[in-house]
Amino acid sequence: MKRNHVHVITSQMMDKSFLADVMKMRGGKNVLDCIQCGICAGSCPAAWAMDFTPMQIVRMIHLGMKDTVLSSSTIWICASCYTCTTRCPRGIDIPLLMSALKTTAIREKIPARIEIKPKFHKSFADIVQKYGRIHEPELFLKITNKTDVRALMQNAALGWTLLRKGKLKLKAPKVNQKVQWSSLFANVAKEESK
Amino acid sequence: MKYAYFPGCSIHTTAQEYGISCNAVSRVLGIELIEIPEWNCCGAMDAVYAYNPLLSISLSARNLALAESMKMDVVTLCSACFFTLSRANKLLHEDSELKGKVDKLLNDAGLQYTGEVKIRHYLDVLLNDVGLENISKNVKVKLDGLKVAPYYGCMLIRPPNIVNFDDPEHPHSLDKIIEAIGGKNVDYIYKTRCCGASLGFTEGEVMMEMTSDLLLEAKNVEADCIAVPCPLCHFNMDAKQRSIESTFDVKIDMPIVFFTQLMGVAFGINPKELALNKNCVSTDKLFKRFHA
Repeated sequence: MKRNHVHVITSQMMDKSFLADVMKMRGGKNVLDCIQCGICAGSCPAAWAMDFTPMQIVRMIHLGMKDTVLSSSTIWICASCYTCTTRCPRGIDIPLLMSALKTTAIREKIPARIEIKPKFHKSFADIVQKYGRIHEPELFLKITNKTDVRALMQNAALGWTLLRKGKLKLKAPKVNQKVQWSSLFANVAKEESK
Repeated sequence: MKYAYFPGCSIHTTAQEYGISCNAVSRVLGIELIEIPEWNCCGAMDAVYAYNPLLSISLSARNLALAESMKMDVVTLCSACFFTLSRANKLLHEDSELKGKVDKLLNDAGLQYTGEVKIRHYLDVLLNDVGLENISKNVKVKLDGLKVAPYYGCMLIRPPNIVNFDDPEHPHSLDKIIEAIGGKNVDYIYKTRCCGASLGFTEGEVMMEMTSDLLLEAKNVEADCIAVPCPLCHFNMDAKQRSIESTFDVKIDMPIVFFTQLMGVAFGINPKELALNKNCVSTDKLFKRFHA
């Protein structure tokens, strides 16, 4: 029988400061409490689409496997359904941890397996900052993969149905600027860049 | 019964039938929903949070500050808004450094939030403020024989340390409302299983796999429709149903209705006021026999 070397861990994969960094993140404070029981992995309705289960991600954090964790598909596929955390006997907020890992991956410009993912979050935030509310057609245009013909066709059909039903508003929403919308969020950006 | 109403973005766009039917039902039940003036995006769960956590929390906090001056409980229809606002509220309570930062941002914009707002889902109001008895009293057309799959999804019930008006594993609030209007709940094992949520934007196939399980199981148990409390679940199951059918080469044809639309039909409200024509999968056959 041959050994599968795909998941062999070497010391080069380990970044000693990563665990400490994660423990400072919101959602990461108690990662060391994990007992690797696997209820998160067994409960996750999207685990089949991930390269590592949430349980494996937590264990890799313990081991300092920063690159593997931040370039995994898991952090982008987690849908934040909270089935895992509801059942976790150690009270680990896995979806919040996944979000924090995403924030780190975005800020450190680590390429996601699916290019569109970081773009989705950035576009959503940009649009909301601009109008105060989300504007679906604009989000859609920004993140549509123009090379996936089948998805384009399906989305065109869907767009037409929604338009016909008056559910797609081409005009952007507007929150009254008198409530100092822009100043509030200009200050958020300043605060974040500190 | 007066509440500060936070509709959320999709109520004005892709989930109009939810907002419209909720207004009609609220009128019958004497619930007064006063829209928070100039509300903004709730903070959009993970969509904004993953890009910029402080932005997401500030978005929530601005809404909470506006609501606080109204001195009423905040009521939302959208499960994701319900969760996002509740999460921000909890983080602001627990994290004094964060609270300090957000307070300063709000103050610079002429707002303040002390942390006193209570955030509730419309289902919670129906069950605990209006009461099942009052709901049954207003039923004019009992939905006799209508087999409904009650779908709760995620953010309405999980995680229980952030949203906690129903049981996270065995919720019952929606089942009780459906019973109260004469419908029959089918035994639906996927009532708390995630639909894939915003993966629809970025991982279309993954979302479609997840949502197709929900739809096919409802068909297996011979439900006439699925009743939902969340615009995002509704979008994936209803608007995307045709794409799912063509992707997996199956025929599903399962009407997906907001529970407020079901209530409206039972209250004898005219279909137009319930926006029954706005659902993507036709509801005509479903409700035909109940309309006068």
